[in-house]
Amino acid sequence: MDGLHVAVVERRVATLDVAAALDFVGDPRFGGIASFIGRVRDHNVGRAVTGISYDLFEPLALRVFRAIGERAQAEVGAPLKLWIAHAKGRLAIGDLAVVIAAGTPHRDEAFRACRLAIEAVKHEAPIWKQEHYVDGDSAWSEGCSLCEEQREAERHEHAGHAHGH
Amino acid sequence: MKIRIALYGALREADAGGHVELEVPPGSSIAELRELLAAYLAVHAPAIPAGLVRRSAFASAEEILHNHRAVPEGIELAVLPPVSGG
Repeated sequence: MDGLHVAVVERRVATLDVAAALDFVGDPRFGGIASFIGRVRDHNVGRAVTGISYDLFEPLALRVFRAIGERAQAEVGAPLKLWIAHAKGRLAIGDLAVVIAAGTPHRDEAFRACRLAIEAVKHEAPIWKQEHYVDGDSAWSEGCSLCEEQREAERHEHAGHAHGH
Repeated sequence: MKIRIALYGALREADAGGHVELEVPPGSSIAELRELLAAYLAVHAPAIPAGLVRRSAFASAEEILHNHRAVPEGIELAVLPPVSGG
């Protein structure tokens, strides 16, 4: 797909660049740009967080980002430019973790492409988040299984719970 | 054959060097590799929760390798615990 930019950015080297993302997805044909910016927040599930480390399996993550771009293109069915960038390494509170930007002729397509891309990045890309807490403790986040059989089993489990209530 | 597996996320805690090497019978499937890795970690990294390998995916740099696939020879694999990006 033309008009697709994917990147993994090591925090020690640079921060994610929102202006560059918006510039990249701009086009004379496009009247709508939607973006999603994920930042590191100072708490999670009642615990004070001091920072996050992101671990990535980079070659596969970039392939997954490109596949997400292709899917977004097929899904919106309109001209699209898309930017997907994720940070790697140790991040402080307020640092940018992920930047998605989608440019399309109209707003509906831009919102849909942006939403599809961020949800797919969260659920499908080989990226892991480790939270660091005030007391010096650290923990890897729970997360979504990429194992096909396991995903299927968990889907049934969730369906069972839903019926149970 | 010897298979080298890179560890990511919570599975990095299993080895300071970030990878393990397993002796795998030729013609093994990914499902069999999963059992071998789970058994290895139960001995060498007992702090890793037993269910984590079951919830993890195996992959090459190109793609996820599902359970029925044969273990490819001569390339390093990666084991990917449940993901939490964004």
